[in-house]
Amino acid sequence: MGWKGKAGFIAVLVLCAGCLPVPETDLMPGAPEDLQLCFALFPSGPWECIHKIEARIHEGASFTLLGITRGDPARPNLHTVLLTPEGFILFEAEQLGDRVSVLKAVAPFDAPVFASGLMEDVHLLFLSPRGRPSKWGRRADGALLCEWANPNGSRTEVVDSTTRRISLRDRQGDLAREAVLRPPFVQRLASEIDLRAWKPAPYRLKMTLLPGGS
Amino acid sequence: MKKWAWKKILFLSAMMLASLVAVEPGHSQTWASVKEAFGKIRSIRAEFLQERHLRILNHPLISEGRFFYLASGSLRWEYLSQLQSVMLQKGDRIRLYHFSDGAWKQDMTQGVEARRMVLAEMSQWFQGRFEESKSFSLSYSQGPPGRIHLIPKEGIDRFILGIEIVLSDKPGVIDRVEILEPDGSGMGIKFRQVEINSSLPVELFEEP
Repeated sequence: MGWKGKAGFIAVLVLCAGCLPVPETDLMPGAPEDLQLCFALFPSGPWECIHKIEARIHEGASFTLLGITRGDPARPNLHTVLLTPEGFILFEAEQLGDRVSVLKAVAPFDAPVFASGLMEDVHLLFLSPRGRPSKWGRRADGALLCEWANPNGSRTEVVDSTTRRISLRDRQGDLAREAVLRPPFVQRLASEIDLRAWKPAPYRLKMTLLPGGS
Repeated sequence: MKKWAWKKILFLSAMMLASLVAVEPGHSQTWASVKEAFGKIRSIRAEFLQERHLRILNHPLISEGRFFYLASGSLRWEYLSQLQSVMLQKGDRIRLYHFSDGAWKQDMTQGVEARRMVLAEMSQWFQGRFEESKSFSLSYSQGPPGRIHLIPKEGIDRFILGIEIVLSDKPGVIDRVEILEPDGSGMGIKFRQVEINSSLPVELFEEP
């Protein structure tokens, strides 16, 4: 096998590593206050935030954007705008419940699959999954773990330790998204987020919280 | 005549007087003199403060930057905050870079096309070639300050309602640009520390 073949093989292995189902984590049964903490992992009340977003679609190819998001977990709704550094709007959408309305979109951000994928990412990062966790408790290392079984068969898992990790597994148990949220947290919003996606397409978003939101 | 009508006349007279006082400083520029002044520009170096107003935001997004322009066809449009990024144009070649993890990284090419029209428009403005725009028709009010109103043609008006370019007292210098969008959003760019026809090193337009 030539070096190109080996590199391709390694790349496939690395990509597939993200698709492997993980074994069940040993969990100490959660106390009632831990259940409250599961909801406290997400922003509460109406909020807005501005992020610098560095997107990597594949190795070596990247671009930066400004992302503005407003949310209200009580309704629940989300409003997201993506801008070029010069301030030109590339994409704007609102989500109320399950309904996504695209307000503005210029190519290549005008594909329907982009809108639904983006809003799913925003929902994953900033809104608590629906309902009560199906499982919660403390891992052996003391980290809080909360897991929700979503209506579409996927599972959202949040592990809160020195950093916060949010994972989304599809109905087959494969890892579709994983986000590492780094402190300090400002009104429950992480200063840095590193989101990696594997399914349906691989990409990586590095998000830095900028001053100006509330 | 009823009392409220007199009040209205008095109010309007006061407004007219106020506007006359407001226009007293400075001097008006005819369209011919504006075009002549822009025609003498060989280079521009300036800083800018950009305010982005969006329906989604309670407060505008403030960005600061600087730009360098050569009438021969080169432009460097650079943001120092909130994002650190730069657009480099030399002739038809446009490159975009962002600063990340301690180094400049070149943006994917998809972002270039979206900016090509904007850069082409901006280059025309700095040369005073407003009438050559394929996207906007124009009207001029002498002021002072002189104001160039760019009215979007069909297609563009879905995104932009109008652009107003406010001229400085200094001939050939733009004081600020105001862009109005359909949903009440908009953008203002105020230029400062403007230097005209100074010598600019060619590397400014080649490397981030």
